[in-house]
Amino acid sequence: MEIDSGNTAWLLLSAALVMLMTPALGFFYAGLVGKRNALSTLLHSFFVLCLVSVQFVLWGYTLAFGPSQGGLIGGLDWLGLAGVGQEPFPDYAPGVPHLAYMVFQMMFAVITPAIITGAFAERVSFKAFILFTLLWSTIVYAPIAHWVWGIGGWLRVFGALDFAGGTVVHISSGVSALVAALVIGRRLNRTEPHDATMTILGAGLLWFGWFGFNAGSALAANGLAANAFVVTNTAAAMGALTWLTVSWIHRGQPSALGAALGAVAGLVAITPAAGFVNIPASIVIGLGAGTICYLATLLRPKLRIDDALDVWAVHGVGGTWGAIATGLFASVAVNSAGANGLFSGNPELLVKQVTAIAATWLYAGVMTAVIVKVIQLTVGLRVGETDEVLGLDRSQHGEIAYQVD
Amino acid sequence: MEIAAFASFAVLVIAWIVLPIRTGVPVAATKAPSTLPEAVAA
Repeated sequence: MEIDSGNTAWLLLSAALVMLMTPALGFFYAGLVGKRNALSTLLHSFFVLCLVSVQFVLWGYTLAFGPSQGGLIGGLDWLGLAGVGQEPFPDYAPGVPHLAYMVFQMMFAVITPAIITGAFAERVSFKAFILFTLLWSTIVYAPIAHWVWGIGGWLRVFGALDFAGGTVVHISSGVSALVAALVIGRRLNRTEPHDATMTILGAGLLWFGWFGFNAGSALAANGLAANAFVVTNTAAAMGALTWLTVSWIHRGQPSALGAALGAVAGLVAITPAAGFVNIPASIVIGLGAGTICYLATLLRPKLRIDDALDVWAVHGVGGTWGAIATGLFASVAVNSAGANGLFSGNPELLVKQVTAIAATWLYAGVMTAVIVKVIQLTVGLRVGETDEVLGLDRSQHGEIAYQVD
Repeated sequence: MEIAAFASFAVLVIAWIVLPIRTGVPVAATKAPSTLPEAVAA
């Protein structure tokens, strides 16, 4: 099959854009933690980029996208990327090299466990974090990616829609974050964000990278990619504007950090919908994300679960809202390969979306609990109390983020 | 859907016009450490 150079160029560039999101997430998170944990928080994201990049070529890709084993997981045919080469694999992406599709998917697999690190920030041991990332990427991410995007995956066959990872990336990581935070327990001391400017820089870079995440998921340089690009930008903007406004109503002041968190919430929510909804719908989706995710952050103190950086509220709840919104606003006028949603006369899609949400919540939640518990009972999850007070930068890495003279 | 989109944005614009900004809220006192030992101890 002939290679389409335009589509290939766009997909490779999109993979690079998505790659940038993981260090950007590191900056986003590092600004939100105390200064004694800034470096370790940055390292979590950077390390995941390295770790999953290797895991994915060795066995992650074949488990997620290899020939389906009963719709549940991919087979081992592409272990070590055997048979994945420069020729296209048209079932996934016609006209682009199979390797280009693989590396684009790799960047999604990278950022998903990096998102979870925000939940156990400032207290997890580095060893536990490494083990968790490897096990979670293999046991949780790969099967869910296969269900939703793999040829023969049961949710794909069922007809649930997820354009760029609302369920695969955001619900799975958000729910897992909540469970991991519950098992690992609360921090000894809550810290205040030590550098809001770093967080806003991270949010800006995430937003930039998200164009690759969503518009790249069209897998071609075409009108659908343009639609995904514009709805992504619009929802991010509405999420930021809405969160800032709701927090202004609630706390009496417009929050700069709120604008950053709201932009990310908007981006999360539009992710599953980006290739199926039009621009007006993206405004409503962003509005919903800014409101619902802000309200979800207010639940954290009530739940008494120390999800340190509100991963569940932004990614779990935002991803769930996005998946539901896809069932409400999707239209074949935007994407003939998709389906109509409730507001286009098809309530069936909403039922499918809710099924996909429930399956992802359940599987990610249960398996994460098992993984975290096993790590707790073997190598341990947390650093000691003294090390936690000293900060992970110094206690785990023997370094500090800031040299002051 | 277009009406909902315009209405959503209009609600935000109206909120920005009518919402007062609560001023005079004390920010948690922060003092920049001047030495490395002080920074580590902080």
